[in-house]
Amino acid sequence: MTGRLKLAGQLVALACVAGLLALLVWRLTHQQHAPKVGAAAPGFTLKRLGGSGTVSLASLRGKPVVLNFWASWCDPCKAEAKALEADWSRYRSQVQFIGVDYHDLAPDAVRFVAAHRLSFPMLQDGSGAVTGAYGISQVPETYIVSRSGRIVAHIAGPITSSGFSDAFRRGLAEAVRS
Amino acid sequence: MIVRVLAVAAAALALAGPAAAACTHPKTSLGYLEGQVMCPTCHTTLDQSDSAAARQIEAYIAKRIAQCASAQQIENELVANYGQGILAAPPRKGFDLLAWWLPIGGVLLGAVLLALGVWRWSRRRDDELPPPEAPGLDEETERQLDELLARLD
Repeated sequence: MTGRLKLAGQLVALACVAGLLALLVWRLTHQQHAPKVGAAAPGFTLKRLGGSGTVSLASLRGKPVVLNFWASWCDPCKAEAKALEADWSRYRSQVQFIGVDYHDLAPDAVRFVAAHRLSFPMLQDGSGAVTGAYGISQVPETYIVSRSGRIVAHIAGPITSSGFSDAFRRGLAEAVRS
Repeated sequence: MIVRVLAVAAAALALAGPAAAACTHPKTSLGYLEGQVMCPTCHTTLDQSDSAAARQIEAYIAKRIAQCASAQQIENELVANYGQGILAAPPRKGFDLLAWWLPIGGVLLGAVLLALGVWRWSRRRDDELPPPEAPGLDEETERQLDELLARLD
């Protein structure tokens, strides 16, 4: 009786350790990292911010895409908004700009879009699934996706700052050429 | 007649307006909800975060409390906006129920195992104790002891 009880206890302990190990392995293998330049851009379908309907990345295949992640509470996003709108106005025949609202309250985001007169499509990533797939940990961040759906540039900061402005221009040119 | 109805309606609106705008008896508090809602960018509860995203949600909660919204209403609105992950506690349904029951089950199992261990340990100690020996002295020793005591007296 004692031997069986001891064996059962050991089996339970072993099962607990195995379960914890499995959880650790699952967590490590499912961690989301920013996709690298040259990799395929993670696909998504998101609701339009403050409106009806959805937009999917697949539906934009054939046209380069500037994917800008932003939030209404983010100060650098305010500075960047004007530059993005200007670039959208200039390149809209060649490139599709898309804004993805990151961890934000929808009414505040709608007010932000109106205040900065942003006219390119804005999408809401409520659950954070898409921002997670793109490894977004801060905003603003911008990805430039080629016609074939490959990432040609990743700008982890405002495109207006001196360090990122050139990278954005180069990425935009490369995406248009692709 | 129509003028009177319009006047009453206008008066009712005038009275109801300020009442709806200010909540004299809030149904919940910011302090409570700060512990129930997560900051989406820093993955801590709002009360442990000072990020811009957390401050935005706190401002929203404060506004809704001032409008007399209940904690449940505010939580539902935040879930509709951010998804279920915005709540610190997992929902009490479906697979998420495991998160509630596993710790309780673990504690119960631990208590049962502990009780079983203590019971077995106490039984083993009872079995291992040697039978108490009667401390007896033989007659000679008793006599010598009596003599020694008498001498001391």
